[in-house]
Amino acid sequence: MKKHSVLLKEELCEGCTNCVKNCPTKAIRVHHGKAIIKGELCIDCAECIRTCAYHAKYSMTDSFADLEDYAYPLVLIPPSFYSQFRKVSPLEVKNSLFKLGFKEVLDVSLAAEALSIKTAEFLEEHHGVFISSSCPVVVRLIRLLYPELTEHLLPFKPPVDVMAEKAWQDVMTRGISPEDIGIFFITPCPAKYTNIFSPLGFEKSYIDKGISVDQAYQAILEVRKEDNSAEKAGSGKDNPGKASPVEGTQETVLPYLGMGWGQSGGELRIMPESMQERSLSVSGIHRVKALLDEISRNNIKGIKYFELAACNYGCVGGVFNVVNPYQARFNLRRLQVKGSRPVEQDYGQYNYDLPGKFEPLRIGQLDTDLEKAMAKFMQLEKEIELLPGLDCAACGAPDCKTLAEDIVNGLASRSDCIFLLRKQVGELADRMSALAHELPPVMKKEKKDR
Amino acid sequence: MQEKLILQNKIERGDFARGGETSSKLKELLRKLGVPSDKSRRITIVTYELEMNIIIHSHGGEIQAYISSEKIKVVAADSGPGIEDLEKALQPGFSTADDEVRDMGFGAGMGLNNIQHYSDDVEIETGPGQPTRITATVYL
Repeated sequence: MKKHSVLLKEELCEGCTNCVKNCPTKAIRVHHGKAIIKGELCIDCAECIRTCAYHAKYSMTDSFADLEDYAYPLVLIPPSFYSQFRKVSPLEVKNSLFKLGFKEVLDVSLAAEALSIKTAEFLEEHHGVFISSSCPVVVRLIRLLYPELTEHLLPFKPPVDVMAEKAWQDVMTRGISPEDIGIFFITPCPAKYTNIFSPLGFEKSYIDKGISVDQAYQAILEVRKEDNSAEKAGSGKDNPGKASPVEGTQETVLPYLGMGWGQSGGELRIMPESMQERSLSVSGIHRVKALLDEISRNNIKGIKYFELAACNYGCVGGVFNVVNPYQARFNLRRLQVKGSRPVEQDYGQYNYDLPGKFEPLRIGQLDTDLEKAMAKFMQLEKEIELLPGLDCAACGAPDCKTLAEDIVNGLASRSDCIFLLRKQVGELADRMSALAHELPPVMKKEKKDR
Repeated sequence: MQEKLILQNKIERGDFARGGETSSKLKELLRKLGVPSDKSRRITIVTYELEMNIIIHSHGGEIQAYISSEKIKVVAADSGPGIEDLEKALQPGFSTADDEVRDMGFGAGMGLNNIQHYSDDVEIETGPGQPTRITATVYL
């Protein structure tokens, strides 16, 4: 079964180790000239997609063609999606999605607003420090590298899953049969796509398919182009202006405040000020890691809640986005300010609770037996001593320490290090040269005195 | 398994730039050795407090970490100047750190308390003008 959405196009990979060095979990090695991702260490953060100059790393998603599999397809729009449009309003975006064949077009922002309120209440009622669990990369990073912090993860589902469950229930009450329903999500990043088939903290996602933002963006542009030409052809008499609004777009109260979730800080902004004052937003995977280091050693004081996002500036920084994150932030902020307060809705209509738990992972140990692990550790120290410590990555591992670990685990050899190899060759050459000067006994003559 | 030394780091007075290095190394190491994360977290916090104590209060020293089947033990030994009044130093909020250090957010007077709170066992050997040696243990 597939576990990750970030993959390698082998034919494009030059074996350059840029991705290897930038991977936050050291999950990539170049072997035989190709950058192989170690599945158990990959958190689908897409840093390798960002780093690769040859576009050899990519992420799979589903497509609009999958709509045909469902009689009743509906789509969930993430808050960040609206940041991709400067001149197309949220209502026009939704309208276009109806035209593309969706029976319902729903805003995750609505559930996001409710989740923010619910979170603030939860934080007031519970002791201790909590970390937002809505970014799947952050959850995966914590389980893998900061397992001691898993208990601090907020025990709620991400807004998209809260919305998906609600959508499912609503459609079911309308008597539509389950096999006809297809819940689509427009995803800004590979990690949220991975969550569809490999969710965290629960068994099965209500979401069926994930379409990347760039595909959805392109499709919406096409629809709008067709509309415009139809409009012109209709000369504006029988067909006054735009196509009539499709059913469902009449709701004018949009969750503008919730759209702010699309960028770092948006989640907090919906909470009461008293909670905002005790919270902190941090985005960007390397900054998030540095922060988690501090939390882990208890060196962050006075903060109750951390809103963390793996992409720079939050979901607007997702790799599937079309618009650069700076423009996207600007676009989103213009929408966000339209919402002075959350949309009035029944917060009890959602199911926020995570059915399961975020389990800490135990990956990266040298052995399950302490004594054997200790023996390997001693060997590891020796290997580290031998290596030059230049972290050049020419061996295909991100740094000397990781190569040493691979050697100890039998996954690499000393001669993978070009410096060690050169040294060995040098020594061999010296020995050969010494040997070459050795003469067979018959030719060895003692010099005679004349 | 018999007790084995797994980490040894020299720490200099005032070397804030390297503060946290020893505890980070130890954390990474314990992960490799397969130590459960809750135990590892506790000893990491303790080690961080110990290394910051050496940086802030001592003339310099060294931290050693040992592991056996039963426990993780961290020994922080410095070359003085010793804790004047240990009883007082153990009171929450008591600190001899100067304003400069406090401005940096350290010296809140919780260091030794934190060490006691997160360890299963703490031994402190010190005296005025003496070196200080703190041994903190977390049982596995």
